[in-house]
Amino acid sequence: MTEPRLIDTRALRSLLGALIRDFRAFGPVDSDGVPAFAPLGAVSELRLDLDPTHLSAREFFLPPKETLLSFALSENENGTKSAVTTAVVEAKEQVLIGLKPCDIHAVALMDSVMAAGVPDVNYQKRRAATIIVGAECTPDDTCFCASLGTEQVKEDSGFDLFIHELKRGAIIRVGTERGAKLLKKYAWGRRATKAELEGLTRYYESKLAAFTAKLNTPKEELPAVLAASDESPVWGEIGALCTGCGACNHVCPTCYCFDVRDALTSDQKSAERYRVWDGCTLDDFTLVAGGHNFRRTRAERLRHRFNRKLNYGVKKFDSLFCVGCGRCSRTCLVGINITEVTNSLIKEARGVDKVAGKEAGKARTKSD
Amino acid sequence: MTKARVAKTKVSNECRQTDSPYLPETVTVERVESISACEKLFRLKREARRARKAAPAHAPGQFYMVGLPGYGEAPISVCAPSATGSDIELCIRVAGNLTGALHRLGPGDTLSLRGPFGDGFDTTALKGRDIIFIAGGIGIAPMRSLLLAVLNGRKAYGELKLLYGAKSPEEVLFTGDFKVWKKKGLSVDVIVDSGTEGWNGRVGLVTDLMGPVKLNALQTTAVVIGPPIMYRFVVAKLKRMGMAESDILLSLERRMKCGVGKCGHCQINSSYVCQDGPVYTLESLEGMGEAFK
Repeated sequence: MTEPRLIDTRALRSLLGALIRDFRAFGPVDSDGVPAFAPLGAVSELRLDLDPTHLSAREFFLPPKETLLSFALSENENGTKSAVTTAVVEAKEQVLIGLKPCDIHAVALMDSVMAAGVPDVNYQKRRAATIIVGAECTPDDTCFCASLGTEQVKEDSGFDLFIHELKRGAIIRVGTERGAKLLKKYAWGRRATKAELEGLTRYYESKLAAFTAKLNTPKEELPAVLAASDESPVWGEIGALCTGCGACNHVCPTCYCFDVRDALTSDQKSAERYRVWDGCTLDDFTLVAGGHNFRRTRAERLRHRFNRKLNYGVKKFDSLFCVGCGRCSRTCLVGINITEVTNSLIKEARGVDKVAGKEAGKARTKSD
Repeated sequence: MTKARVAKTKVSNECRQTDSPYLPETVTVERVESISACEKLFRLKREARRARKAAPAHAPGQFYMVGLPGYGEAPISVCAPSATGSDIELCIRVAGNLTGALHRLGPGDTLSLRGPFGDGFDTTALKGRDIIFIAGGIGIAPMRSLLLAVLNGRKAYGELKLLYGAKSPEEVLFTGDFKVWKKKGLSVDVIVDSGTEGWNGRVGLVTDLMGPVKLNALQTTAVVIGPPIMYRFVVAKLKRMGMAESDILLSLERRMKCGVGKCGHCQINSSYVCQDGPVYTLESLEGMGEAFK
């Protein structure tokens, strides 16, 4: 593994410039006042200082619409119909610049979902063709990644290169062989000194103090908090506010659910099967033929969503599925805030514990 | 339930088209039979050996993703065991665009098929047991795959009872099979929600059929397939009859789009119905309040 490197400001500019010149590159830009990932034409467009982008980087791995199959349809001489089916698995090489630590952790979670059991080769091909150049960030008042341990990345978190900008130049961390090759080619610099790396450690300590939004319990406790919340009045309260618009799903970097649909061409000679993003807060997500809906109310759908982020993932993937980016809270039209809701549940769980504890205490006294 | 490998994803460039989990095989319709106003029984024939790999035969209770180019795919349970590994029998109720188009197919037409998916019934574990089969509505279709598998090896099982509830006499399916089933030693009791002229059978709910049933709770396994509301009442009654939760098997229906644990639709708590189900013991659904919602 390549040790972190130090490059000067000019070299950083030339590294970014070369990536933008030589690859299909995307990164955060100021899009009419909105931070958004966009194709990059020049280094000057790239903005590593903005708040988290409204949409996550998911679209680069799991496009909003993706063709999975194409069918060539024909009618046989005897009147029967048949189809020649081809799987579509395509990916173009691309570079994503400026993914924040939370975004990089989210990609790693997506990787584990798509690799589990029967792998999703469409995703994996695009993932393999994507070079990730992460960058350090400054938390805003909604970010709460520090409560989930995703505020910093490690060399095996999934990035190829990771930029830690300094007053002069940058420390570049190298996550893959592919990243090392690129760095060697464009801006090799020198090995970062021990003092410089200690500066990095101090930076991460100071970063922790910058968060105002926090979860009031260690992340290890969250699955139990959620599991105990099935009957909580919180779901009814936020369910009454929720409009079921699906925006929280739409902006989430770890939401991967999709619908599969077919479309016929107008001449009916070909058809495609494609997938589009779907969201568990939308009202038809669990609707089956005959009209039964397994999660009919918005309260039930929100409970499911919160559990998927903070509880259910642990059993199958050994991880929470929230990275604390705060996008759902920033986007929600009616102000449902994931840290506030979760803290309410934490408070409730503690209340129950206290009551249970008291009663247990009483029982003990009696039996004594 | 196996825990997914959490190992770091091996990202390789060898993602071949033929590895796509969404690539179906093309199968030919061999026979179509109308068995009610809304249901047709399809007999499909898959290539003996597909170019990719030999087609795996299915177990009772498993399902396929059945599709038509231009119309989409839907999960459909098998309704008979596969004798040769290449024959598939599906009972399809017309409910929308896709199933409407499927109903227009005839012998020689082709459709797209992926699977089999899911964890079906383990007939070996049922050996030596008395079995009470309780089916409601279209639930009789997946139930039939198990009934036939069990009746094929009749001697290995104890007392066998089928309680079957349908909405109306017209919606009682597989009436033509009843005679053979009875002959092989399955008692068949049918009840309908509302009778029509000429119906001499019972009128009421499937739970009404359970009233007079005497069963040896320790010796019996109950298999229940039907709508969620039926599960709530039937399960409560079975428990009152002394049945253990580990001896009550249920097959759950859910919206499904992929069959391989990716699309998210069938998830109940941490369980993916498409992989961990559709067959569950009542015991394994503990804490999953949404299961019968």
